[in-house]
Amino acid sequence: MYPFASLPDNLAAFCRVLADDHGFRIGPREVHDAIRALEVTPIGDERAVRDALRPVLGSTRDEAAVFDAAFAAFFHPRRGLGPAGRSDARPFDLRPVAARRPAPRRAVTDGPPEDAAAPERRGDEAADAMGAETGDDDREDTAAARLRARASAMDAAGPPPDLQAADAAWRQAARAFARRIEVGRARAWRPAPRGPRFDLRRTLRGSLHTGGEVLLTRWRDRPRRRPRFVVIVDGSRSMHPYVGPALRLAVALTAAAADVDVFAFSTTIRRVTSEVRLAALGLPRALPELHHAWGGGTSLGDCLTAFVRGWAERLVARRTIVIVASDGLDTGRPAVVREAMAQLHRTAAAIVWLNPLLETPGYAPTAGGMRAARPFITTLDWVQTPADLRRLAGAVRLRRW
Amino acid sequence: MDPATIRARFQEHGFIVGEPFATALQLVLALEKPLLIEGPAGVGKTESAKTLAEVLGTRLIRLQCYEGLDALTALYEWNYPRQLLHIRLAEARGESADQQESEIFSDRFLLKRPLLEAITQDRSPVLLIDEIDRADEAFEAFLLEVLAEWQVTIPELGTIRARHKPAVILTSNRTRELSDALRRRCLFYWLPYPTLEEEVAILHARVPGVSARLARQVADVMQVLRGLDLQKAPGVAESLDWAMALMSLHRDHLDADALAQTIGCILKVREDHGVLASHREALSAAMDGPSADRGLETDFGLGTVSRPGR
Repeated sequence: MYPFASLPDNLAAFCRVLADDHGFRIGPREVHDAIRALEVTPIGDERAVRDALRPVLGSTRDEAAVFDAAFAAFFHPRRGLGPAGRSDARPFDLRPVAARRPAPRRAVTDGPPEDAAAPERRGDEAADAMGAETGDDDREDTAAARLRARASAMDAAGPPPDLQAADAAWRQAARAFARRIEVGRARAWRPAPRGPRFDLRRTLRGSLHTGGEVLLTRWRDRPRRRPRFVVIVDGSRSMHPYVGPALRLAVALTAAAADVDVFAFSTTIRRVTSEVRLAALGLPRALPELHHAWGGGTSLGDCLTAFVRGWAERLVARRTIVIVASDGLDTGRPAVVREAMAQLHRTAAAIVWLNPLLETPGYAPTAGGMRAARPFITTLDWVQTPADLRRLAGAVRLRRW
Repeated sequence: MDPATIRARFQEHGFIVGEPFATALQLVLALEKPLLIEGPAGVGKTESAKTLAEVLGTRLIRLQCYEGLDALTALYEWNYPRQLLHIRLAEARGESADQQESEIFSDRFLLKRPLLEAITQDRSPVLLIDEIDRADEAFEAFLLEVLAEWQVTIPELGTIRARHKPAVILTSNRTRELSDALRRRCLFYWLPYPTLEEEVAILHARVPGVSARLARQVADVMQVLRGLDLQKAPGVAESLDWAMALMSLHRDHLDADALAQTIGCILKVREDHGVLASHREALSAAMDGPSADRGLETDFGLGTVSRPGR
């Protein structure tokens, strides 16, 4: 049954499979910890072993969710396949990677994104190995089949666009843009080189250096609140020619400002902050598959709603500038867009909508989605070049609180 | 402590833990590694750390993170006013400068903040670092250093090493992505909503005197509600509040009337009331569920609503 004769070998092979096939971040330290964890676990009890290894080897919710399936697949290889240690005979390779993750269930239902999705029930995670082999198998196979059907229906969908590092002109423009955005001052007083309030405490503390005589004065000020930017990029087919500048803006802003979160959507929305951050560091990379949605259709309303449900509560506040790059062409109902935009409008400092169609002579934002969003947009513009971005800073009107 | 003991001891303190969570807590003690707990709001992340401290019979030291939290606020500060007073008094007594200095930079004048407090205890305490995602990334980096070395250097005093490593629990609401480095230093546990049976057990443990019928109904409705498309799904905290509210209204069971009266305990967003209205049948089925002529063991066909994962 097991690929190797000894426990450490099996564990090492299992860790390798997790790292290679499932993207777990496992290094020597994790393997070492796993062995220590097994020392305090009754290793005859499979469930106990799984419970002990899951917290050690998994480090995110997604990893914890796929762990049980990977465990069952490794230690109970199905369909008479050989040892799981060999790459050509791994049982999981039968199914596409995406089908093993919780993603396909969402992809099928187009439900809310990862963070907002109802969490796995504990019973589900703790389903014993037999249950995992029978019940899960059926479910995942059908999910995979539906996913494949969906993928073939979207043959027109292009590959995810590449993220390029921002050049100096974009970075400078982004820095100038971020600096021009004033979202007020923090409530708390902080030490400052100069300010409206005298800092008695620190002045006295400083006087210890001069034998208790006050020679230098210290001051307090309320520091500028740092703006937070949320960039939501439309990656649908109609935006294909324009997605380049929008992503460059996102990368440049990420390089120039501290709090930037980037999302991409077409039929579903997904947080791509970490990929954009790497690109901002000068490591060009492709964006992840958007559940076969790069270049797919748009469900603007659903995606904005998913954003509002899943992330807005924590990301969108008085200091947040929401930047949406979309042509506003939507296949859903305008009322959904209106509801989501109203929610954002209530909490954000400004909503900047970048619409590439504004460049088209004679264009008027009258399409359903755009018309629904219009009343809540603070600034409607388009950014193609760094110069446009500098100009945009002057045009953004912030809500006064 | 093995998981079974942990579960039993936690239950004594009114906190119901499942087998996987108990194992994770066991590993915290066995491997001496921090445990990062993520999960939806109100499932008892913070409470689990408090209970752990009670079970171990040690102090709970809590560091609540917020934006702008800096290293000094988390570590230590000198008590300047007291130092100054001391200087004045010492001057009056005519002490020398050297003598004064050795006195004013001593333990007496040190204000210990949570992290320093945690490493200077005689018994290893439970250190709860709450909502780590709200702190800045700079603070996270600083925290990594403390968690790795368990020592703090105070220029005037020297290096203070932990005599006993604290058991560390970090909680996160996923406001922002935590760094890989932090995740790799921690064990990870995703704390989900409780199952129906667990929630009934929690209600019995935390709300003394709740009737079996009411507890079951509250748990049933909660399962349905968490399956709905709500902006703010109610957590365990809400079901406890709700059960207490119903008891204080002298309700021993749940009906549409009682629900309407106490809806504010469970739904905190106006839009969610509309969602609720459109799912009346599912809710009334859940409320009627455990009536006398039907057994308690089935879920009355609600399985599809309450457990989307199955």
